[in-house]
Amino acid sequence: MAFDKMELRDIEVWDGNHAAAQAMRQCQIDVVSAYPITPSTPIVEGYAKFKSDNYVEGEFVMVESEHAAMSGCIGAAAAGGRVATATSSQGLALMVETLYQASGMRLPIVLNIVNRALAAPLNVNGDHSDMYLCRDSGWIQFDAFSPQEAYDLNFIAFKVSEDHDVRLPAIVNQDGFITSHTAQGVYTMADDDAYNFVGEYKPMNDMLDFENPVTHGVQTEEDWHFEHKARQHNDMMTKVSPKIEEVFSDFEKLTGRKYNQVECYDMDDADVAVVCMGTSVETAREVATEMRAKGLKAGVVGLRVVRPFPFAEIGNALKDIKAVAALDRSAPGGAAGMLFNEIAGSLFNTDSKMLLSGYIYGLGGRDLLKSHLVDLFNELQANADAGKVLTQQQQFIGVRGPKLAYL
Amino acid sequence: MLEIRWHSRAGQGAVTGAKGLADVISTTGKHVQAFAFYGSAKRGAAMTAYNRVDDKVIMNHEKYMEPDFVFVIDPALAITTDITINGKDTTKYIITTHLSTEELIKIQPKLEGKEVYTLDCITIANETIGRAIPNTPMLGAFMKISGMYDIEFFKESMQRVLAKLPQKIVDANMVAIQRAYDEVK
Amino acid sequence: MANKGWDEFEIGAMLRSFDGKVDECSAFTPQRDRNYSENNSHVASVADWRLIKPVFNKDYCIDCQFCWVYCPDVSIISRDKKLIGVDMDHCKGCGICVEVCPTNPKSLLMFPEQADEETELANWPAKDEEK
Repeated sequence: MAFDKMELRDIEVWDGNHAAAQAMRQCQIDVVSAYPITPSTPIVEGYAKFKSDNYVEGEFVMVESEHAAMSGCIGAAAAGGRVATATSSQGLALMVETLYQASGMRLPIVLNIVNRALAAPLNVNGDHSDMYLCRDSGWIQFDAFSPQEAYDLNFIAFKVSEDHDVRLPAIVNQDGFITSHTAQGVYTMADDDAYNFVGEYKPMNDMLDFENPVTHGVQTEEDWHFEHKARQHNDMMTKVSPKIEEVFSDFEKLTGRKYNQVECYDMDDADVAVVCMGTSVETAREVATEMRAKGLKAGVVGLRVVRPFPFAEIGNALKDIKAVAALDRSAPGGAAGMLFNEIAGSLFNTDSKMLLSGYIYGLGGRDLLKSHLVDLFNELQANADAGKVLTQQQQFIGVRGPKLAYL
Repeated sequence: MLEIRWHSRAGQGAVTGAKGLADVISTTGKHVQAFAFYGSAKRGAAMTAYNRVDDKVIMNHEKYMEPDFVFVIDPALAITTDITINGKDTTKYIITTHLSTEELIKIQPKLEGKEVYTLDCITIANETIGRAIPNTPMLGAFMKISGMYDIEFFKESMQRVLAKLPQKIVDANMVAIQRAYDEVK
Repeated sequence: MANKGWDEFEIGAMLRSFDGKVDECSAFTPQRDRNYSENNSHVASVADWRLIKPVFNKDYCIDCQFCWVYCPDVSIISRDKKLIGVDMDHCKGCGICVEVCPTNPKSLLMFPEQADEETELANWPAKDEEK
C-alpha cells in the first residue's frame, strides 16, 4: 500500500511528544500497539493521526491495557516486524512484566517513555521513577534532554536495537511535560534521509519465515534459564556499547549532531561537577557557565545512556574531579539514589579521591531552580576545599519542611 | 532572553497560542521555548503557559520565570489570581477585559504603577471567530505593544501556523489579530 | 538437549523445529521423514510416564477419528483417515482415546503397561447387548 511522504521545514517547532511521533513515522514501523497515558498520549495520538492521514503504511493496534500494548509489540516483533510504542508511569508499571519478556526473547522493540512520577499520591508530572522502575529489565535505555534529542534518539534506538549482534529492546526516555509538552526548535531530517539512516528492517528468527519454523517464548527452568540470562547480560555488557558508539558516529556524519554515552560539559578542568539526567542537564549547564564567571570551576555530566551503564566513561569523566553531586529524580525507597550507587561503583577500587554526595530532587515535577543549582555548586566547592564531604551523603533539594539528610 | 507568561483557562488556547508564537519567532532564526503548566486540570481550570525567546540555544528548563510580558486572556483571572507574581519592575501586562485600564487597576490594586495594556480579546474573538478563543487576538495586541514584527508579516506567518483549520476560520483569525492590534491601549 | 554453555546457543530462548530448511509445508511430509531438530518434542520419548497403555483392536474400529481429534499428545497415528496404531513414544496413557471411542465393544481399551497385547486382543470383550 502506498503512503504519503511529509514535507518538513529544516527547523520545526515541536514538543518532545510530537518529535518522537514524527521520528516513529519516518522509521516506517510495521506495527505500533499502544494504549495512551499522560504525558505520553500525544505520541501515539500523533502517530495514529499520521496513520489515518495516510502517512503511515504499518499497522496501528488499539489494545485494552499497557500490558496488552507491549504484548502486541512482542508478538509483532517475534513475527518479524519493526515495532514501537510509548507509555508513562502507571502504564509502564503495568507493562513491566512484558518488558522482561521482550528483552529475554531478544526482540528489538523501541519504547518511548515520557517520564512521570508513580502514584501514590497520583501525579501526572515529570520525575524519573518510571525510568528507574525498569532499570534492571534488560532494555537498553537512552535519555533525551530536549525535544531535539527525543527525535534523534529514536532513530539511534532502532538502529542499535535491531542490530543482529545486539537484538535487545531499547527505551528512549524524555522528561514528562518539561520535554514532552515543551515546544522548541527541532532540526529535522527529510523522510528519505531519516529512513535510509535506520534502514530496512532485517528479520532474525522470525515466525513468518515459514521455511525455518521456530518456537518463541519457551520455558527453561533451572537447567537453562541461567545460561540464557548470562548470555543476555554478556551481550548487553560487551556488544551494545560499541554499537552505540558506531551509530552515534554514523548519526553525526549524517546530521552533524554528536552524541556521547556520557555527555561532558566543561569537565576538562572542573573541580566540582553535577551528574544528572533529563532537562536538568541543560539547566545545570547554564548554571555551571554562570558559576565559572564567578570563578568556580564547575562542570556537568549528563547521562545519555542509562543502560548499559557506561561505567568506564563515567569513571573517566569523574576520576579527577574533587567533588561530585549525583542528582536522582526518583524516590530512593530506602537506599542511596541509583546514580549515587552507579557512580560510586564506577570509581570504587580505583585511585580516585573524588568526594561523592547524593541529592534527591524534583519529585512529582517539582521545579529544579537555577538557585538550587547555585547552592549545590557552592556546597560542592566547600566539600572540595575541605577535602571531605561536609554534609550527610544523601540530601533532598526543594522539599518543604525540616531539612532531610541521611547516610 | 525574552520571557512571557500566559494566564488562561484550560481550553482557551494558551498552549496553542504560545506554540504558535514560538513557531513564528523560530522562522526568524531565534531560539524558542513554549511550555505550559496544567497537570491533569479540567477545561476551565486556571493555568499558565510560557514562552522563552533568545538569540542562543535555550538551555534553562526552570519552570520558574520572571516574565518580561504577562498575557491574561481570561478576564476574571486578572482579579481572582495574582498575575503580578514574580514580576519585574519592567514587566508589561496585556490583559483582556471589558473595563478600561483605569477601571481594572481600581479593582486590582496590585497593578498600580505597572505598565498595563488592555483590550477585550473575548469580545473580539466572539465577533470575529464566533467562539471565545482569545489566543490569537492576544498575539495581535502583543505585536502592537512589543513592536516585535510588522503586523502584516505576523499575519502571514500565522496563516501558515493555522493552515490546518478551515479557510473561513483562518480568515476570521486574521481579522481578530488586526482588530486586537488596533484596539489595544 | 545437550547441556551447552551460555555462549553455545542461539539467542532469545528460541528453538527451531527442524534442522535445515523446510522446502514445502511440513504437513505433506510423513512424521518419520521430517528432519526434526534435537529440540523438537518429537525426539523426546515420554513412554516411561505411562502406567496403563491403550491397545487398538482394528476389528471394531469404524475410523471415525474421534481418538485422533481428542488425543492431547497427537499420539494416534492415522493415515488416509484410517487409524493404524498408537505412537507409544509419546502416549502418556491418559485413556482419553478409550473414553471417546464410540464403538461397541470399544476399539481401544486400556491395559496395564506390562500386559501382553496378543493375549488381550484374543480375550477382547464381546458386544454389550444392554447398550
